[in-house]
Amino acid sequence: MLLYILRRVLYAVPIALAVSLLCFLLVHIAPGDPVNAIVPADAPQAVVEQIRAEYGLDKPLPVQFGLWLLKVVQGDLGRSLATGRAVTEDLAIAVRNTLRLSLVAALIGFTFGTLLGAVAGLFRGTWVDRLAVGLAAAGVSVPHYWLGMVLVILFSVLIPALPAMGAGPGGSGDWVWDIAHMRHLVLPAITLSVIPMGIVTRTLRGIVAEIMNQDFVNTLRGKGLRRGGILLHVAKNAAPGTLAVMGLQLGYLMGGSILVETVFSWPGTGFLLNSAIFQRDIPVLQGTILVLALFFVTLNLLVDLLQTALDPRIKRA
Amino acid sequence: MTASDDTPPRLSRRGLLRGASASAAATLALPAWMGPAALGWDPAFAQVAGGVLRVGMTASAVPLSNGCPDQGGEGQRFMGITLYDQLVMWDLSRSDAPAVLKPGLATAWKTEEGNPKRWSFTLRPGVKFHDGHVLTAEDVIFSFDRGFKRDAAWFDPRAGAQIAPRFPTLVAWGSEGPGQFWLETSIPDSTIPYALTWLGIVHKGAWEAAGSNWDNYLLKAVGTGPWKLTSFSLRERAELARFDEYWDAPRVPKCARLTLLPLPEANTRVAALRSGQVDFIEAPPPDAIDSLKAAKFTIVTNAYPHNWTWHLSMVEGSPWRDVRVRKAANLALNRAELKELLGGLMLEGNGLVPPGNPWAGKPSFRLSYDLAAARKLMTEAGFSAANPVRTKIAISSSGSGQMQPLPMNEYIQQALKEAYIEISFEVFDWNTLITVWQGGAKGPNARGCTGINFSYAAFDPYSAFIRLLKSDLHAPKGVNWGWFSDPAFDALFAEVYATFDPAQQNALLARVHERIVDEALFLFAAHDMNPRALSPKVQGFVQAQSWFQDLTPVRMG
Amino acid sequence: MSTTTSLGASPAAAPRRPAASPGYWQGVWRRLRHDRVTLACAAVLLLMLFAILAAPLIAPADPYQTSMIRRLKPVGFGNHLLGTDELGRDMLTRLLYGGRLSWFLGITPVVIAFGIGGTLGIIAGFAGGWVNMLIMRVTDVFYAFPSVLLAVAISGALGAGVFNAILSLTLVFIPQIIRVAESTTTSVRALDYVEAARGSGAGALTIVRVHVLPNVLGPIFVYATSLISVSMIIASGLSFLGLGTKPPEAEWGLMLNTLRSAIYSQPVIAMLPGLCIFVTSMAFNLVSDGLRAAMDVRN
Repeated sequence: MLLYILRRVLYAVPIALAVSLLCFLLVHIAPGDPVNAIVPADAPQAVVEQIRAEYGLDKPLPVQFGLWLLKVVQGDLGRSLATGRAVTEDLAIAVRNTLRLSLVAALIGFTFGTLLGAVAGLFRGTWVDRLAVGLAAAGVSVPHYWLGMVLVILFSVLIPALPAMGAGPGGSGDWVWDIAHMRHLVLPAITLSVIPMGIVTRTLRGIVAEIMNQDFVNTLRGKGLRRGGILLHVAKNAAPGTLAVMGLQLGYLMGGSILVETVFSWPGTGFLLNSAIFQRDIPVLQGTILVLALFFVTLNLLVDLLQTALDPRIKRA
Repeated sequence: MTASDDTPPRLSRRGLLRGASASAAATLALPAWMGPAALGWDPAFAQVAGGVLRVGMTASAVPLSNGCPDQGGEGQRFMGITLYDQLVMWDLSRSDAPAVLKPGLATAWKTEEGNPKRWSFTLRPGVKFHDGHVLTAEDVIFSFDRGFKRDAAWFDPRAGAQIAPRFPTLVAWGSEGPGQFWLETSIPDSTIPYALTWLGIVHKGAWEAAGSNWDNYLLKAVGTGPWKLTSFSLRERAELARFDEYWDAPRVPKCARLTLLPLPEANTRVAALRSGQVDFIEAPPPDAIDSLKAAKFTIVTNAYPHNWTWHLSMVEGSPWRDVRVRKAANLALNRAELKELLGGLMLEGNGLVPPGNPWAGKPSFRLSYDLAAARKLMTEAGFSAANPVRTKIAISSSGSGQMQPLPMNEYIQQALKEAYIEISFEVFDWNTLITVWQGGAKGPNARGCTGINFSYAAFDPYSAFIRLLKSDLHAPKGVNWGWFSDPAFDALFAEVYATFDPAQQNALLARVHERIVDEALFLFAAHDMNPRALSPKVQGFVQAQSWFQDLTPVRMG
Repeated sequence: MSTTTSLGASPAAAPRRPAASPGYWQGVWRRLRHDRVTLACAAVLLLMLFAILAAPLIAPADPYQTSMIRRLKPVGFGNHLLGTDELGRDMLTRLLYGGRLSWFLGITPVVIAFGIGGTLGIIAGFAGGWVNMLIMRVTDVFYAFPSVLLAVAISGALGAGVFNAILSLTLVFIPQIIRVAESTTTSVRALDYVEAARGSGAGALTIVRVHVLPNVLGPIFVYATSLISVSMIIASGLSFLGLGTKPPEAEWGLMLNTLRSAIYSQPVIAMLPGLCIFVTSMAFNLVSDGLRAAMDVRN
């Protein structure tokens, strides 16, 4: 077991390295010149060349990658071309904002997903099941950025009850968990929660139904175990698989919130990524993608380990 | 909190105390939390005496607070002329006439007798910076050093990149006594006063207080402007407060605070305005105007020199080298319909300046819709429905000042098709289009495009005409995108540079402009009307006929 | 248990038993015939497919013909059954033509990824050893990116355009399909009779053709169908961000984007493209579910 954990952790290292290379390459295959992000449209060429040299953009690619990686390892993701500020500074704020949003969205999505999935799996074939399946299918099929727009029109414009954008009355800098701030979370979090809701519902329904079909449940029933007892049993057996899916979904929420953050001007990683793409701010682009991917790698690892710990039946080679 | 506090407002963990008090206030206001957002969402700010003006900008980030802002003209509008003053400034107090220059931190300026390349300036006495420092000639020299003197310890490459292109002729500067400042240009350059409106005056002590670091300085910016910086969070917001000791007493802001929010997405701006999160938005989308008016919001517009054109290539192989094709395109475009598309929020293209502008002149070629004449010209040029001109235009998907690029260009595409001109588009994102613009029509990024839809403001003779058409200002030196070259124009431009009398210069520029229109050097489509939507609470705003606006007279009702 | 998509369903479970017998497919069809939801969704999709393919014949207007005086007219205005868009173009026509590109963007990346990913996955699963190692480790790297992030990153780097959008989506789906193909193939390879065939000296190609393909293609196919809706949603999301289709092409995501500001004056019109994406993607998802259920021999 310990050996397995160690191996699994060690294996994450080359993955992380390869991910860094991919991040680095991604932004260099692009057309367009990053220098234009920092100089005005009619800047003379001499100024452009000087800025290029200052930011190291005139060196060959492998050298740039080497230098970049060396710094990354030391926790230095470079400076934004657009602002001159350390990327890590911007990222720290953005990651925190995205985490806030994703965690709340996950909480909503997982709660409803668990409820719907469990009920559907326990009462398979009934109208409750069909309703849950329908909701889940809608959740994974709806273009969520569209849902976000519709929610804004309904609850910010027609009935001006909730804020349409931003992460708090004074920006995200002075975030506290009070109502004035949490109201800003409502619409984006609901919008973001529909996908994990749908996926958790589907997964849990499948797992529960499978467990219910298995012999041991019938055996328990035969033994005259009461409903509560059976439920507990099902819950215990469904937990590892469900938790694994939830863990991955949290990762997808972090990485996939770009559309929702754009619709709601939520100052998180997706928002940062979007502006970096359109400003061609290479260090910010690289840093954001890298941090999100590494976060995902770590999450994958944790989920894997957690699942192994929870589910003694899984035997790893 | 003021910008001169010893502890700078940290971006990551700003204003803990204020946050706590805001939350306390919000908690008291609990019952309102499901009520209209305008009442309930922001109680902490609503209590500020004099009110808070919250602005939704089109910029994708808060413009830099260093006195030479990025984000183009919008940056200067909200961060340049709010926090800072310049030696020469725009008079933005009138909406019924084009904005003109007025004395700023310089009370007077002139060129030296017998040497038109040397300018001298008398500085305004007793002007205070936000940190209490009093303006001296040394501060003006410092401000020029930080933008142009590459070997100075306080040279700021970022500010330099923004400001250098505004001063193509600057060679030297200095002081010859207290309250006096001089500068020299390489050629006689009458456009210097316009260029000076871009350079915010900073002082060395403030830079040193920021650890002699221009990046830190962004958080603790200190100017002489009517507003002072209280907090700066690049991707979210900037907060400014009234500077009570501002030297120009009538321009001390009526509002106590000014909040600037970058909201690049037009619908987000509308939603933010309607849900009461901001009071003032730039460029509401035309299709939202009616519903905004119905909901009692005010829409303000005005004429100002901002051009939305196709800049045409004169490079070998471009169909636009034939003046008949250029004229035909201009005649085939029904500008009234384009205006309809924008819900009336544009002026029909009148050339490179809007009607009524002192430089407009009286061109003989009329920019009206006449499809028959367009077809006739095309037939003369040897084209027909069966044998149309086929060419490609570079456009952007969005961008500040680009108005509604996609539907507008799609509309023009359909209109020109009627006159045997078949257009295809190369769509770039705004920032890549800037590359294409800088690279010129011969550049590798142009991908064979023979025109570019690039909008710009025409602030002064240089930015309005000279940089676009002077034969030696093609890439990489300037933005004569189409490699246009005509000795007659070059001669006119030389005359403009050397003419210092404003009336004479205006007459000369009107002649330049007449010629530009008569030769149909661009596809003149529209002038932006700079629409803004204001909440009914915003009072006293005067929309100047300028790309810039003064927010100091605004009160919150 | 592993979940391999961000938006869609979890992958089809590998078959517990061989599915190559002719009776199996009859059983699948029998089960499908009684699944009314799946049949209804399939009918919706077929109808839509027919409509968009026949767009040049049945569309009431020219998809590119603009008219400023007729812009943003409501549903049922004149002869515009679904109103007009921001340039006065007939909405029904635009939606029909837009469907072509949206379907194309939804299906093409999945088809290409099915071909490439399926092949690589089967090779990895069947060959095992270092081949498996090589293919799967590279897959792991791409797998370390959440799909939306990867699609946005690639499209953001390459720039807008249909080709780039397809490229980025294909790259997103290939690793996902490789994983399913590999695990399915591995489980089939371990089956007794496949082992027996190997033992009897049958050639690798023969074994793959006779024993492996019939058993693994089904599950990979079902999994791929669940990706179509994901592909459609991400593709229109890219257009929505300005990283996908370029105007004047009609595409649902782009239409959703360009009609955004009309939501204040013509909310119904502005919502139509989103609704089209929603309905199509839901139908694909439900059909995929139905197929999976029908092909799962345990039912």
